Formats: sequence, C-alpha cells, structure tokens
Amino acid sequence: MNEHVISKQPAGLKQSVPREPGGHAGRIAARTVMWLFLLATALLTLFPLLMTLTGSLKTGAEMMTGGSLFPAKMQFANYAEAWKQANFARYTWNSAFMSVMVTIGTLLVASMAAYVVDRREFPGKRIYVTVQASMMFISVGAIVLRPQFDLMVALHLNTTLWGVILILVSAHSSTFFMLQGFFKAIPRELDEAAMVDGSGFIRTFFRIILPLLTPGLGVAGLFAFRHSWNEYILPLVFTMTNPKLQTLTVGLANLRYGSSAAMQIHLMMAGACLSILPMLLAYILANKTFIQVTAGSVKG
Amino acid sequence: MIYKWRRLGENSLFLAPSIILTLTLGIYPLFWMLRYMFYDYAGYGEALFIGLDNFSRLLRDGLFWESVRNTFVFAGGKLLLTLPLSLLLAVILNGKLRGVSLLRGIYFMPTVISTAVISVVFYNIFNSYNGMVNTVLMKLHLVSAPVDWLGPKHAMLTVIIVAVWGAVGNYMLLFLAGLQSIPQDLYESAAIDGANAGRRFWNITLPMLAPVAQMVIMLAIIASLKGYESIMVITEGGPIGKTEVMYLYLYKLLFPVSTGSPVAQQLGYGSAVGFASAVIVGAVTGLYFFFSRKMNKVY
Repeated sequence: MNEHVISKQPAGLKQSVPREPGGHAGRIAARTVMWLFLLATALLTLFPLLMTLTGSLKTGAEMMTGGSLFPAKMQFANYAEAWKQANFARYTWNSAFMSVMVTIGTLLVASMAAYVVDRREFPGKRIYVTVQASMMFISVGAIVLRPQFDLMVALHLNTTLWGVILILVSAHSSTFFMLQGFFKAIPRELDEAAMVDGSGFIRTFFRIILPLLTPGLGVAGLFAFRHSWNEYILPLVFTMTNPKLQTLTVGLANLRYGSSAAMQIHLMMAGACLSILPMLLAYILANKTFIQVTAGSVKG
Repeated sequence: MIYKWRRLGENSLFLAPSIILTLTLGIYPLFWMLRYMFYDYAGYGEALFIGLDNFSRLLRDGLFWESVRNTFVFAGGKLLLTLPLSLLLAVILNGKLRGVSLLRGIYFMPTVISTAVISVVFYNIFNSYNGMVNTVLMKLHLVSAPVDWLGPKHAMLTVIIVAVWGAVGNYMLLFLAGLQSIPQDLYESAAIDGANAGRRFWNITLPMLAPVAQMVIMLAIIASLKGYESIMVITEGGPIGKTEVMYLYLYKLLFPVSTGSPVAQQLGYGSAVGFASAVIVGAVTGLYFFFSRKMNKVY
C-alpha cells in the first residue's frame, strides 16, 4: 500500500524513506506467512460446512466408522429420507411460514413507527425512542419466555406458530432504527407534495413512501428473515408439547435424542444441509448487502 | 383544531402496533420477573410471598456460582481467541489483496447460519469415536487415541472453539468497518516520515480504531456472557456440569422438561437467578465501560 504512495514522490524524497526491515526476501516470507494464515483460517471456517455436505451424502455405516472425508458413493437418497422420514418437509414449512410472517410483520410494524418518528413531532417521542433503544440491550435471558408464554396461552395462540411470530415481531427495535435511517434519506418534500395533492396520510405512506423505501425494506427484511429462520429457543419452548409445529432448528436438534440417533447421523447432516442452504443461498446472492449493513451498524 | 386531532390520530394509529407489542411482550415480562423473584412459585398452583428468601438461597446455591464461574471461563476464552483473531484478519483484509472480498465472504459466512444447526454439526464432528476431528488428528498422527472432546476434560474447550468459529467473522467485519473510516493520508504522511508498518499500526491504527473497538468489545462481552444456545445443543451443560453457564442454568430452572434435567421447575427462584444474571452482565459491562473510557478520546 505504501509502495504505491512512495512511487508518486519525487526521486529525491524516495531516498529518505527507510525500507521495511528484512528487505526483499523478508517481505516475501512475510507475505507467505500471511497467506498461509489466511488460507488456514478460511479452511477452518469452511471445514464444518464441508463436513455437513459430504456427511449428508454418506451412508449411515460410513458415518459410524468415521472413514474418509468424501463418501464412497453419493447417497442422494439421504435427502429424500430426511425429507419424508425425519419429517423435514413439515419442519421446512413451519420455518418458512414463521420466518415469512415475522419478516412481514416486523417490516410493517417497524416502518410505520419509524415513519411517524422521523416525520412528526408528538408528545412522548423521546420516551418512545429511548424505550426502543433500551429494548436492544435489556436481556434477562430465558426469564421473559414464561410471561410471554402465559400471555399466548391466554390469547389461545400457544397451539399455533402465531404466538412465536408475535413475540419475534415484538422485538423490532433494531429494524426500527435501521428503517429510521432509511427514511431520513427520502426527502420530506415528497410526502408533503403528495399530501398537498390531496393524498391522505395513510395513503401517502403506503402508496408513495413505502415503494421508495424498497431497498431499505429489502435489507431490513433480510435481517429479520435471517433472525427468525435461525431462532431456536423460542420455537423450542413453544413446541415442546406440540411437535407438529417444530421448526427446522428445533426438529434437527431433537434428532439427537431419537431412539436410534447414532444410526441417523447421515440424516442429521442431510437435514442440516436442508436448513442451512436457503440462508446460505440468500447470503451468497446478497453478500455485499449483508457485509455493508453489518459493517455500517457499528458506526454512530 | 380538527387538523391537530387528526394528526394525533394518525400518529397513534401508526405507533399503536409497535407500542402495544413492546409493552405486552417486551416490558411486561420484565415486571413479571421483578414481581416473582420475591415469591415461591413453581409455575403452577399458588405463588407464596417469601420476601428475599430466593436471594439468600441464591447466595448459598453452589450450582449457580459454579455456572457463573463457567460463564466467565467460557466468555474469557471466547473473547481471548476471538478478538485478536478478528482484529488480525480485519487489519490484513483492510489492505489491497487479491481475493479480499471472497475471503471476507467466507469468514462472515458462519454468522448467517443458525447457531443451533451448526452446533448439531459440531456435536457430530467432535464425537469421540467417529467424529471427523479425531479422524483427521489420528491420520495426521497428532494423537494416538481418540480424544474425548465432549468429555469432562475437554468439553469447555470444545464449546469455546465452536463459539469462536461462529463469532470471528462478525467481529472481523465490525473492526474492518472501523479501519476503513481511518483517513488514508495519515498512513501516507507517516510513511513519508519514515514510520514502518509496526509503528504505523501502533501509532495510527490502534488509537484511531479505539472508539470503534471500545463498542465492538463491549458488544462482544455482552454476547459471550449471554450466549448459551450452542452449549445447550452440544453438551446441555454437561458432562457433570462442566459447561453449565449462567443463562443455561436459568433456562433449566424455567423449562426443565425440554432438557430432561432432574431439577423441578421453579419460576420464583428462576426470576431471582435471571435478575442476578442480568445484574452480573450489567456490572461487567459497566466496569468495562468505566475502565475503557479513555479509548473514546482519540485526540
């Protein structure tokens, strides 16, 4: 990086810059060490994923004996078996339903609140914002699950996934702040002009402002979706007495206790692949967005 | 006047869903806990007011303090490995290298995968008899007999490794964001003044990164003191309580059925444990914030 800069300097100045210690050979050695380190870390990061993929294609017996990394013969039937026998069709449907509903709900609730907070003054605005900010930090762990559960029982929502969905939507404060940032980028003149033209508040929001917010909604939605797709403890608690409602995370983790768990490792790996793949695919497609937004969240 | 009321109505309508959800599912549970920590309440039947008895029980509860100790070992081990590693990766990837974005993508990948699912995978990878880790280590002749990774001796190390795997990419990215906000000309003028790479790192990068690092480290501390999901899946706190952490202990008091734990459900005592755990996390964060406040001032 500095070579580039130095080369721009006049020739006389170049002499005054001391060379890095070690000279040419030292620099090559340093680069080699650095690349070895980078590749080793990358490999260690990918190793479990590779294991899952190859494991999902092995036979049960092959998994039992350890053996080599790659399967002797690809067992694509594992996926069909996991899908049907280990009930992954059901789990996938539950996960997808829950995550889609949570994403829609979170975006709706958070965007409406963020719009009003960004555009209007009202009594208690500061209190509202402070409470939302503190909701991101307060955590007493599993303890809140019980009163939440009791509330859902009172509302008769404990026998469906709607209880879990409502609870996940209630944790919308980070989406709220993210969307508030996006609203700031939309000029106020736009909604004012629309309202002068006779469009009501609600209509302006849904017809004019929300469509403009699409990129922001996409990013926030991606995060909300990832969060609910990966959620484990909440659906676990809610489906303890209702195995039909289990999501992928819960169903997969429960496979460990199966009567013949040891024989099913290959199915577990196939199931793990089934639950990881959608997120991984979304990640690869939206890699840049993920990385930029996550990186941006530390500022300010 | 009508206009004013209408505005108020619109505001309320748009805020109502958020406020109702936050009040009922976010704030009410906190008051619920604050109330029941003074009660003897099993979760069914009658709740009996017992004043501070839950807290005196807490002080004498060896299992709880053991879990607090484990929490600090776990969080300490995780942070000690994660933070330097992610900072090092961030510093390297901040330079102009071939394949930078691919590497960033790979390192960040674990954070998009469910902790529970990947813990199931690690559970199988670290299996002592047919796990891939032992197979690889034996083939490389690094060990002569399979290591019992999930046994009492190594279980803590195993859950720390899994936690580090899942966290490095995230903190690398946050550090990287901080590094990229450091103005490049600082480095250029330092290079002209004859500062070598080490000096530039020590005198420019570290102080300029300090405010961001302060935030990132705080997030990391909170997250590692609170994390129990992956431990729950991999070891369930076992063997013989060697990986029992604070929040997992709390979870077992509240939902003993799901973990097959022999403890009876105790919501009253659980509330006290939850409160104490939150206070411990808060105290550590506060202490960290106090001692790191100098990091906030760059100039």
